[in-house]
Amino acid sequence: MPVDSPPAPQPPLVLDTLTNPGLPTDECPRRARIQLDLLLLAIEALDLGGSEAMLATARDLGLESLVKGRVHLWLLRGTNPMRRYSQRRPLDIEEAKALVTIICTLARRLTVLVRQLLVGYQQLADKQLTPDHHFRLADYLIRFRSHFRARMNPSRAGVIAYSSDEKLDQLAIELLQQLLLCSGVLGPQRLWNSLFDGEVS
Amino acid sequence: MTVQRQYTLPHCNLVLEGMSANANDPLSPLSVLMNAECHLPGATDASLTGGREFLDSLVAAVSRYGQQLLSGVPYPTAGGAVIVEIKPGEGLYHHLIVHQQPLGEPVSDINAQPPLDVKLTTVQFYDLMEAVDQLLADSQTLPDLTAQFQAVSRRLVQPTEPVAKRAAPAVLGATALAAAALALFFVPPPTVEPTRPESDASTPAESSTLPPETAPGADAGATEGSSSELSAEGGDLDGLDNAPPITDAAAIALLSSDLTNRLQAAWADAPRPSGDLAYRMVVSEDGDILGYKYENDLALAEVDNTPLPQLTFVPLPGAAPVQERVAQFITTFTPAGEVVVEPIAPEASGSSSGASSGSAVASATTPASLPPLSNRVTDGDRIRDLNSTLYDSILADLEPLSANEALRFRVRLTETGEVVGYEPVSAAAGLLAAETPLPGLVAAANSTADQADFQVVFTERGVLEVNPWDGWPQ
Repeated sequence: MPVDSPPAPQPPLVLDTLTNPGLPTDECPRRARIQLDLLLLAIEALDLGGSEAMLATARDLGLESLVKGRVHLWLLRGTNPMRRYSQRRPLDIEEAKALVTIICTLARRLTVLVRQLLVGYQQLADKQLTPDHHFRLADYLIRFRSHFRARMNPSRAGVIAYSSDEKLDQLAIELLQQLLLCSGVLGPQRLWNSLFDGEVS
Repeated sequence: MTVQRQYTLPHCNLVLEGMSANANDPLSPLSVLMNAECHLPGATDASLTGGREFLDSLVAAVSRYGQQLLSGVPYPTAGGAVIVEIKPGEGLYHHLIVHQQPLGEPVSDINAQPPLDVKLTTVQFYDLMEAVDQLLADSQTLPDLTAQFQAVSRRLVQPTEPVAKRAAPAVLGATALAAAALALFFVPPPTVEPTRPESDASTPAESSTLPPETAPGADAGATEGSSSELSAEGGDLDGLDNAPPITDAAAIALLSSDLTNRLQAAWADAPRPSGDLAYRMVVSEDGDILGYKYENDLALAEVDNTPLPQLTFVPLPGAAPVQERVAQFITTFTPAGEVVVEPIAPEASGSSSGASSGSAVASATTPASLPPLSNRVTDGDRIRDLNSTLYDSILADLEPLSANEALRFRVRLTETGEVVGYEPVSAAAGLLAAETPLPGLVAAANSTADQADFQVVFTERGVLEVNPWDGWPQ
């Protein structure tokens, strides 16, 4: 039977485990957009080839229809309102699901490193030492700070709150914890649902 | 057949023992839980054990707390008694609290057990959560136990700011409003005086609302014109008795002729009155008739035949009264059709106004200086004689005064012409009384003879005026 139009694109099956949260619109709330971009930023700070790995993961998971290459990924991350070049476009639920899947896949790959850093941070904190004494952790924090400052708009109120090194380090450690928590078997579902805490009716 | 399932992670070891649904099938899932045991090596030596209730509570607490860590939104605490709960601790620590007290038994002193508090690092908590997640994802163990994820509803989210902080702006606003209301409460509301049109105010019907002493039937002495009575005719003339008089004779003459011409022109084709109509008029510097008052009864009755109601300047309603210099005239409309305008000397009109108000002030504030008159001199000729006697005696001793305004005194004389006492009417007069000849003239301080009061004015230009306090006798 001849068809005169291509079949309607189906969302990738890998996203089926994430249920729609029941929002009034198809757009992600503001806090979800910030959270997804910051987690990706933390992954970049952990892994030098993080941005390449994101694109490779998207290809591996069959998410090309939602994350169409480097520029499109940059546009998706630009929906974070804290960004210097923030995009006005909304972030669709399906696109957010793709980002969640990529984050969790990469987090699982980085689990060992994340555990090492968190254990090291815990030990340093117990001894009242600064993170500078842990080489790998200090490396991560420095890179996270420079990434954050290079890409976030310093005049936004949400960014001004992280003006000092200590506050940025605090944020980086929190993101590290969150990466660990979403690296488990049910990590994607946990992360996905946590994005809409306080947003659903 | 007893089945054991074990989920092992570096910091957590979760062991479940139970019965499989079908004893003959080795692949059938574990469906009945007998015992759950959780070891947390590195965190505590104690093993947490319990039945299905313990496991359910552990799963719920871990799920809830994991979501809270991920989103930062505090999860609303479930009501009722829970066996396991997890709370955030200081720094990166978390507290796993297990209430070992069996729920069904009443708590007493004998079997009461303190809750077990296990301090977990984030990594240890992650291992616990991962063990729970693996259990949830395992379809071979307790298939009825599956992950239930639900985002926190907007209504259940606790506001991040305490109530006191959120309420502070509202309380501040309400307080400011209350303070402003309290402050404005003491500010008197502005009094709006309705302005009556002059044509209405001067009709005979309206004159019935005048005070009794100015009513048409009152005797001539009561209606003797003073500018305070004139101003009583209309509310918009309140300021006129205090208005500064025009003293320039040329200006008064100009105003007088202008007024004559205008009245004559406006009155040309009106019916002629049966007698003289006399009015006291107040005219502003630029010729506006600000107010008028009848001087005889006929003038009141026939006021509508005169052009005065039409010519009177009616101020705009609501406009602030303007304090301007005025001149007073006596205008007479004669039966022959002539209009005669005679200026009233500003000093005389001013003095009569000052006298009427000053006497009230004097009798009210300094009654001791001059008691009210008991035995008056009533003879008109005698009063005129006394007036000229007083004038002469003051003028004999008068020297130039340093006052820059008129000094006004009330002087009391006996029938025989002796000065009983005097009393300053204005404040400046009280200050400068010693410069005047009056102190030297007081002769008979205590006299029971008939007495009369006179007003003595030393004007700023050095002119002496003496006239009877109660007006010239008829």
